[in-house]
Amino acid sequence: MAGDLKGEAMKSRLESLLLPLAVAVCFVLGWHFAVRWSGSDIFPTPKQVLSGTAELARKGVLFKYIVASLFRVSCGYMLAVLVGIPAGLLMGWFGRARAAFNPALQVLRPISPIAWIPVAILWFGVSDLAPIFLIFLASLFPIVTASMAAVQNIQLNYIRAARNFGIGGLELFKKVVFPASLPQILTGLRLALGVAWLVVVAAEMIAVNSGLGYLIIDARNAGKRYDLVVAGMAMIGLIGLGLDWLVRRMETLDEVRWGISGR
Amino acid sequence: MSGKLTRIVVGALVVVIALGFTHAWLNLGFDPLRAVGLREAAPEEAKFKVGFLPVTCHLTCPVSDWIRKNMNGKGLFEPVRFSGWPELKEAHISGQTPATFMLAPMAMALRQQGIKSKIVFLGHRDGSALMVRKDSGIHDFKDLRGRRVAVPNRFSNQFLLIFKALKDRGMTMDDINLVEMPPPDMPAALYAKAVDAIISGEPFMGQTELDGYGRVLYQARDLWPNFISCVMVVNDSFAREHPEKVQDLVTGIAKSGLWLEGGMDHRMKAAVAVATQYYNQNPRLLRFVLSKPPDRVTYGNLRLSQTEFERIMQLALEAGILKRPIAFQEYADTRFSENTTGVGPYPWRGI
Repeated sequence: MAGDLKGEAMKSRLESLLLPLAVAVCFVLGWHFAVRWSGSDIFPTPKQVLSGTAELARKGVLFKYIVASLFRVSCGYMLAVLVGIPAGLLMGWFGRARAAFNPALQVLRPISPIAWIPVAILWFGVSDLAPIFLIFLASLFPIVTASMAAVQNIQLNYIRAARNFGIGGLELFKKVVFPASLPQILTGLRLALGVAWLVVVAAEMIAVNSGLGYLIIDARNAGKRYDLVVAGMAMIGLIGLGLDWLVRRMETLDEVRWGISGR
Repeated sequence: MSGKLTRIVVGALVVVIALGFTHAWLNLGFDPLRAVGLREAAPEEAKFKVGFLPVTCHLTCPVSDWIRKNMNGKGLFEPVRFSGWPELKEAHISGQTPATFMLAPMAMALRQQGIKSKIVFLGHRDGSALMVRKDSGIHDFKDLRGRRVAVPNRFSNQFLLIFKALKDRGMTMDDINLVEMPPPDMPAALYAKAVDAIISGEPFMGQTELDGYGRVLYQARDLWPNFISCVMVVNDSFAREHPEKVQDLVTGIAKSGLWLEGGMDHRMKAAVAVATQYYNQNPRLLRFVLSKPPDRVTYGNLRLSQTEFERIMQLALEAGILKRPIAFQEYADTRFSENTTGVGPYPWRGI
């Protein structure tokens, strides 16, 4: 019986590895033959992209650019977390704060970070601050919205039970409201990290001279270097996958599994 | 917060700080040894920023910096490379780049819109081409009737060049389908037949020739002799407070322009240096556009001429990109340009 279970688990783990791998292989093969059959000498083949990536790594710029992008994204994202979670919790808990700020939030939320580029340059100039500001803006709204909704969705039983035990004020916030909101906040954080990483290309359109977004824009200026454009895209995708995996690991913590059961 | 969660938050902060230091060290020239006093700090003079794009219309900006650094060991200004016109313009009007290279009609339009900057010098002459696909049946300007033509920006002289060429042939803007497109995207658009013709500054036009699918329909000078696309623009306040720096910058641009005209040897050396150190392009591309033909783009006569600008103004008004005429003295400051009379090329033989 135990052996059967072990076998099942092994099979499922193998499947979760082999299935995406098979899709990736099919995609790369499809891409290769599509370029070959179309006869395009502008669009790169997977092999050309690989050698473009190797060229970047040899020159030492790949690592530099990854660090630059990761720094800008993590900085903007952390600022958004520091501002967004408390703001969302307060707006979720205090009806008046929500009534006052929610309309403004909903007005600002749908504006694409690309539209903020001119404002970012006018306010922050041509330094790292402008892209960090754009990433901060992009990730702030999902965090505020998720934190606000998380507090609003807390089961009243939790609050009532806590109050019966005489817990109130800041203690209630610390011991009940925040932990009970964490699962939903974490979903917001995961979403926001995806968005933050998504806007890295737009954010690095400003006159910075490093980063994966910059790599893509710079390769467009460098003539027929679409291999580097696609290499930049692939790196952004792969790192995005890694970041998402990290946040998903956080979801498995006991502290954030309050009131949710895994499937 | 539980211990585990605190550890995660602290860990994340440590990662951000570590990334910040690594980024500063790798990309921003931060020297950790100097920061802790283990290496002596070299005194560095604060330099003003000059904006440019990686196009041959702005070539004198990096060439001037490259020659100065090689001759004197230090540059006068900090060249800042942008990726597109909007960002270049915004950095200038926000005061981040007190001097910048810019499209001539855009500089005029900005002045009209109240931006306090003036044109002080030209960036180049010629250096644009109207390209079609080799296999297209377009052999004359009139063949463009009903076709899709890409220009860099409505405030570009390339737009006015198309307007002028149409007018000279008794045609109007309605006879062609004009689209605005960032120059780096133009070669791929021509290759994919998304557009029938493209026109912008080099090296993007030359690239289509080098890659074997583009053909020059006209060089800019065939349609507009002594064509000007980009000019150098300086903030009024910077010119008022630092006239000596602006003069130094303008004289340097004039000298590097003349140096580039000093023989093919100079052009080829500049092509390699600029492509590798400033533009991050394949040197082969810049070598091609600076030599085939040798007068594809010229840098010899960059002084401001009122007659030429009035011609641009007239066309801009007719094309509707400027709403009302403005006096030459309002958007141009000729004193720096006048002081370059008699200036010779940099006395430098190149590396």
